[in-house]
Order: sequence, then C-alpha cells, then structure tokens
Amino acid sequence: MAKAVHPDQRYLTALITNDTGVVNEIYKKCAGKVKSFIVFNNGTTSDAEDIFQEALVDIYNQAKYKNLQLTCPFEPFLLLVCKRKWLNELKKRSILPVTKNEDDLLHIGEDTFEQAELLEQQQEQSTLFLKAFEKLGERCKEIIRWSMQGDAQEKVAEALGVTYGYLRKKKSECMASLIKLVQVNK
Amino acid sequence: MTEDKILLTARYAEGDLNEDESAAFETRMQSDEELQQHLKDYQHIHQSLKMQLANDANDERFKNTLKGLNKQYFRDEPKVISFKPALKWLTGVAAVLIVGLLVWAPWRSNLYEKYANNGQMLVTERGAEATTDLDKAAALYNEKNYSAAKTILEKLYVKEPANAMLGYYYGLTLLETTQLDSGRKVLTQIYTGESVFKYDSAYGIALSYLKEDKKAECKTWLQKIPKGTTHYQQAIELIEKL
Repeated sequence: MAKAVHPDQRYLTALITNDTGVVNEIYKKCAGKVKSFIVFNNGTTSDAEDIFQEALVDIYNQAKYKNLQLTCPFEPFLLLVCKRKWLNELKKRSILPVTKNEDDLLHIGEDTFEQAELLEQQQEQSTLFLKAFEKLGERCKEIIRWSMQGDAQEKVAEALGVTYGYLRKKKSECMASLIKLVQVNK
Repeated sequence: MTEDKILLTARYAEGDLNEDESAAFETRMQSDEELQQHLKDYQHIHQSLKMQLANDANDERFKNTLKGLNKQYFRDEPKVISFKPALKWLTGVAAVLIVGLLVWAPWRSNLYEKYANNGQMLVTERGAEATTDLDKAAALYNEKNYSAAKTILEKLYVKEPANAMLGYYYGLTLLETTQLDSGRKVLTQIYTGESVFKYDSAYGIALSYLKEDKKAECKTWLQKIPKGTTHYQQAIELIEKL
C-alpha cells in the first residue's frame, strides 16, 4: 500500500489552485536557501531563479496531472529537488560542484530522497514521451495535442471538424502507436 | 498479440469501446496482469504527455504567480552595501573624529561670548545737570572700556560698599578684566544680600566660571537663578547646552 500522505500536501494543493498567499509562503521559506546554495555553487541569482521556478512547475505538474502525493515534508523536498536540478545543470556545464551531493543532506529523511528521485524520473520520462510524440505523424500529433488541451473531448472533436466517435478511435490508435514507440526505445 | 492489447487498452481508456466490450475488458483485466500493466502505462504516458502539452489557462496563471514572486524574491531585493575593508576603517576613523569633535566642541568657546552680560550700564536715577563720575563710568562701561570703567567704579564702590548697583558693575568690570576671583567676591556679596542685582550677580558669577570652562560651577550658579528674573531664560538655555 501507498504511504500516508503528509499534511504538507496542502502546499501542492495551493500550487494547483494558485493560492498566492501560500505560494508566497513557499518563496519566503525556501527562495533564500536555494539562492545561497546555488550562488555558493558556481551559480548566479538568475540561475537560482530559473531552478526554483522549474522545480515548482515540475511539482505543480506532477501534482496536477499525475496526482503526486507528498509522503514527506514539503520544504526539504523542494530544496532537494532544487539541489538535484542544480547539480545536474553543473554536470551539463561540466563544472564540479563545491558541495558533495550528500554531505549537507544527511539530515533529510529517506522519504524525501525517494520522492525527489521519483519526481526527477517522472520528469525525465515525460521528456522521453514528448520525444516519441514528436515522431508521430502530423495528424496524430494534431489530434493528441488538441485532446490534451481541455477535458471536454466533444468540443475538441468540434474544433478539429471531426465526430466525437472518430476522435476517440483515432486518438486510441495514435496513443497506441506512441506507446509502442516508447516501448521500442526502452 | 501484444499490439492488440495495447490498442485495446487505449480504446478502453479513451472510451472507444462500447458497453459490452468495455465490461468484457474489465473482466479480462482482473485476471490479466499484462492488461493491468498496459492500463497503468497508458495513464502514465497520457498524463505525462498532457503535462507537457496542456499548458492551460490555469497553468499560465500559476506561472504568472511565480514570475511575480521571482521578481520579489530574486531580483528586487535591496542590496546590502558591503564596505571594502579600507573603507570600513575610514568610516570608523571618521566616526571617531566626529565624536571627538563633539566632545572637544571648539565652537563651545563661543558660548561665553554668546551669553556674556552685554547689558548696558544704565544710570537712570541721575539727573542730566552734571556729568558725575558714575556717568563717566557708565559711558566707559557701555563702550566696553572695562578697565577704565573699573578704575572709576572701584573708587565709588569703596565709598559706598552698600550700593548694590555700584558693586554689581564694579564686579562685572573685574570679571571682564579677568580679575575673576575678586570679581566673584564682590558679586557674591551682592548675591547674598537683597537687591535688584541679586540674581544678575549670580548670572555674572556663573559666566565667570564659564569663561574658565568650569562647567559644574557655572551650572550650580545658573541653577540659583529663579524663574521670572531677567536672566532666567538665558540660564536655562545655557544649562541645556552645557
């Protein structure tokens, strides 16, 4: 069974509902820490800004579209996500980080590590899925892209100038092709 | 076979199966782990892709919130001014100089001049018929020729030691000619007596101490001056400045 959801799930809810007050609270608590970590590790304030925003958008997306359930406290989770993101960025720029990966993270619980790891995996996978999607035919791409925009598939069919039945059939086929593409690449 | 299952799962998930087919799929899935996995994969891939492609109005609003906060927390912060070490020392030195200057207060020496008794010696009770020694003394006093005035006042004071007016002005001329101790002695006598010059004398004594930069004594004498007398206001001001 899945682990119990942490009360800090409220932060994810706040992200999804765009609760500015709570999002501000998140910034107040964490922005400074992320900034000092990144600036200390060969980054700039602007890098920190990008990383922080990316992390929040990732968490928002996972919570909204993939029903991410937080099983650890939010703050260390967010900080860890930002750190991992920055360390990956440093790898890309081939700069050695000043702080070792684990040294300053010893006090962080295992749950937090797992959750951050999972978030990263999910993000990586979704990038792979997007690449596979790009390989589909134009018609498939169009149908999938449109159907992803809103939940009312009838309206999507109308916008595409097809029947709802045709949309369902075509989308199923396109998605099946996509899944096969993903599995071939595995 | 596998291909069929993937397509079947996609059709099931997209609602492309009719009711019977859908029910059959569900029954079959209960015993078919492969189908269960396909459905999981389908939802996972579908939602992951949706995450990348959707970007609906709410997502935009959320990103705008972040942009606003980014500005606030990463950019518009007031910069902490850090002095270079040399500058730090300089400011320290400057501060010490300023404090030193305040303590030393060279402009304080002007206090005496500012508060010194520049009153005119008025000899109102005299008629205009003849110029007396007292008139001469007053004229000299008013011209600030204190030593000449002193010589005349000294003679008059010796003759009439009980005359408070003579004593008072004689005392002041003594002070002005830096015979501070004898001046104070004369004025103290007037202060201990009862006359209109009582508190004027106290003020004169206080200023004589100010001249010597004896602030404590100056204060003590200033504090003797009661409200409602000529020099009260000046005394209060001067006490504050000391």
